[in-house]
Amino acid sequence: MKPDDQILDDIRETNMSYLMLAQNLIRQDKVNALFRLGVSEQTADLIAGLSPAQLMKVASLNTLLCRFRMDDSNVWNLLTQSNLGKSASTQTARLHANILMAGNFKEAM
Amino acid sequence: MIVKSILNETRQIERAVTLIQLGARLQVLETETSLSYERLLRLYKEVSGKSPSKGQLPFSTDWFLTWQPNIHASLFLNIHEYISKTSALEEIDSVIKAYSLYSEQMLACDVEPLLSVTRAWRLMKFVDNGMLTMTRCTHCGGLFVSEPYENAKHYVCGLCNPPARAGKGQATGSIHLH
Repeated sequence: MKPDDQILDDIRETNMSYLMLAQNLIRQDKVNALFRLGVSEQTADLIAGLSPAQLMKVASLNTLLCRFRMDDSNVWNLLTQSNLGKSASTQTARLHANILMAGNFKEAM
Repeated sequence: MIVKSILNETRQIERAVTLIQLGARLQVLETETSLSYERLLRLYKEVSGKSPSKGQLPFSTDWFLTWQPNIHASLFLNIHEYISKTSALEEIDSVIKAYSLYSEQMLACDVEPLLSVTRAWRLMKFVDNGMLTMTRCTHCGGLFVSEPYENAKHYVCGLCNPPARAGKGQATGSIHLH
């Protein structure tokens, strides 16, 4: 197997897991799912409506379907605990990151 | 005359049960459901196995502005905003959803959920009445619970700039700074 094939396999696998988890979350509790996934209601409806065959097709891309949510370097620093000032602990850094992330719903609207 | 709908009543009871399980006081149930006081009392005893606590609800906005409660209240309010912006829910249902997500995150951080569901509900009422609001921190850009007349130009949140004695308490389940 060429190394490229391995990468494509890994991407497909990750896409599959992501879509199946997303479907589970959305079917269980849509409101919570929107918060956890960070997607809009429209996108959630699309994902939930995928049939297994469609899911396989969508997953077999050469790109990942889910995107990184921590674009904010501030949140990133808090989560990785780098460059924390002396007035912060692991605990407050996590709480701080949670607050900032919960406040970021632009893309889910 | 109000036509009694069984479906509606079932929904009201479900909502009341969820609130009781989350630990809400009877006053919250009285405001948020159309069930009678007697029925709520019976429901409360049935669900929680004890009589509801008596007495007035906490009524002051000050509690939400002290360091530790402010972090809890701000997290809850941000989650609530997220939920109400992304899903069309009735107000009390979004409070219930946001409160569950808030408790879950607190558990993950090893912090006791200092904000009770009654306080959370109270907080929403204060925000609706304009007695409390959210102000953007000029350092981190996050939204935090604050007084309505806070100077937004110079506002720095309690996490970017903790007060001198903050986080020094030894109590388990509280937020520690070191």
